Amino acid sequence: MSRPRIDPRAARASHLVSTAGALRPRLDLGRTGPVSPTGRPRRDPRREMAVSRVSSDGRPRFDRSHQGSFEGLAPSNKTVVSPAPAAPKLRIVAEPAFLVFAIMEAPGGRLTRFDRQLLGAAHRLVGSSGEGAVAAIAFSPIADLGTAGADRSLIVEADGASASGRARLLRGLVESFAPRHVLFAEEGESADLARRLSVSMGEPILTDVEHLGPRQAIRATKGRMAEEVGEPPRLMTLGEDRAAPYGGETCGARTLAFSEEAAPIESDDAILSDEFIPGDPARLTLSETDFVVSAGNGVTDFDHFRKLAAALKGTPGASRVVCDAGLMPREAQVGASGTVLAGDCYLALGIAGAPQHLQGIAACEHVIAVNTDLHAAMIERAGLSIIQDAQLVMPALLKLLEERGS
Amino acid sequence: MKTVVLVSGARHPVSRRPALTRLEAQAASLAAKLGGTVRGLHAGPSDDQLREALGHGLGEADWLEIEDRVDPVPALIDHLKAAAPDIVIAGRRGEGTGDTGLVPYALAEALDMPIIADVVGVSPGAGSGTVSIEQALKKGARRRLVVQLPVLVTIHPLAPPPSPFAFAAARRGTIRHERIEATGLPTAKPSPFVERPYRARPKMMRQAGAGQAGEKAVLVGPTPEEAAERILAFLEDNGIRRYSA
Repeated sequence: MSRPRIDPRAARASHLVSTAGALRPRLDLGRTGPVSPTGRPRRDPRREMAVSRVSSDGRPRFDRSHQGSFEGLAPSNKTVVSPAPAAPKLRIVAEPAFLVFAIMEAPGGRLTRFDRQLLGAAHRLVGSSGEGAVAAIAFSPIADLGTAGADRSLIVEADGASASGRARLLRGLVESFAPRHVLFAEEGESADLARRLSVSMGEPILTDVEHLGPRQAIRATKGRMAEEVGEPPRLMTLGEDRAAPYGGETCGARTLAFSEEAAPIESDDAILSDEFIPGDPARLTLSETDFVVSAGNGVTDFDHFRKLAAALKGTPGASRVVCDAGLMPREAQVGASGTVLAGDCYLALGIAGAPQHLQGIAACEHVIAVNTDLHAAMIERAGLSIIQDAQLVMPALLKLLEERGS
Repeated sequence: MKTVVLVSGARHPVSRRPALTRLEAQAASLAAKLGGTVRGLHAGPSDDQLREALGHGLGEADWLEIEDRVDPVPALIDHLKAAAPDIVIAGRRGEGTGDTGLVPYALAEALDMPIIADVVGVSPGAGSGTVSIEQALKKGARRRLVVQLPVLVTIHPLAPPPSPFAFAAARRGTIRHERIEATGLPTAKPSPFVERPYRARPKMMRQAGAGQAGEKAVLVGPTPEEAAERILAFLEDNGIRRYSA
């Protein structure tokens, strides 16, 4: 292997600055050019240093992590233009070959985790071919159906209707749209509705499905000694946490048109009166409630804390330290050795977040932490963290709630 | 008021012996507290579950003996049509048999009775021929219904706990035995599903903050007033509570 020889005279000539009429030849050694006979550009260490210099004033600092080419890089004032974020792709099913119904419960017009799982399971049944469409059926208006995975939405305002009225309404919808599958949640009113529909249509139903794919559905039977396996039937109820929520492109959520005459809402003659009694958060158990206001070691004034929990309409909870000290009853303890919560929201006042405590709130969707320590584990977990003394925040919250008159 | 408590052919989850489910024990206690004539009803090959239900407050019971593979619904329908009870109380679903929870619905459809699910309390209504029913909803809410008799209800786990089992009451109680020949009744339809030994499948992990759209916000050292504003705004934006007057 031999390299072509460097011709020093030619190299010197390439640096020569043409200064016509000058007495001496002037050289510009900083100038790079096709000097090397190999054709390799010559390195300029000064320029490289200048490029890697980060701070322009004071003590020089260099960032040598940049391993790319320095060719053509100016020392600074070169802004990197990032490509504009592309608009999220929209999944549009214009002419669906078939429909899969997912019956949403969505209390208060918000999709629950279970509702999202149902939509995810419905997408598994539809497949990615783009032939079928997922239709979300709800009895009250819901936001965000498109991102949750609904290609079609059908909102029938039947909030006050009885269960049998809803079942008749749903039967009308199923008969007029003829969906390939109808998916229910195996929980509360949905489970009731699914069985009513199955019996009134005389159609078999697969309840509490544990595994659902496009080709087979599996459910446990005989007290979990056996399982039933087969093609997914038309009516199914899905167990909780058995399917992943939909995570694909945003769906169209177009409104399905239907005529009110096809599915009239009838009242139940046998029910003479119907009175709704909202749950009193102060008297609910921790496993039943949806919003827990919890106190930890950072709270010293427990009268204030109880007043705050009542004013926030939350159920009071506590960490183990507080319960051990006898400041709150043992039933209020949140965590691995206390109650594992199933609620939506958790407000942690002065709780650092021991691993056992975090296990207890693993299912909570929204966590607010008020703590003096920025590096506490609870701050890492929380959606809204406030680095402040809980003892100062509590009276401010109480005052604000009084001003709002609630 | 005539009350019938349905008892399923449940089995103990570990020993596989015939056993009464907790929900049916709760149903028996609820019916005993309601007063009137209370009878248990079971269609199946053995009466062990009924005997246990007698110990939880039922005085008498009917046992329709059918073979193991026979659908119990037609036998139950015939019996209930003849007995014409005012209230039928059932558990949510069997444990150790089919476990679908469809039997109460099938009975209600056949007998043309309204069915109320997830009931935690039953008491006599103000008017004659009515009953006041308390139904458990999500988030600790309740619904109080006044319903025209006859009615079929299924019990929610939050109903009052069952009265303790009393051995003497179980011995004292009487069971009227009736054997139903399978020839006169259609057997259960062949299922389109294949049955095989159960394999446990893990549930999806519950992720922290799944479905949460917003990003994490950390406020370092805000004034308490600012912190309070932010907390209330977070609660209202995420639809947890409303605090405006």
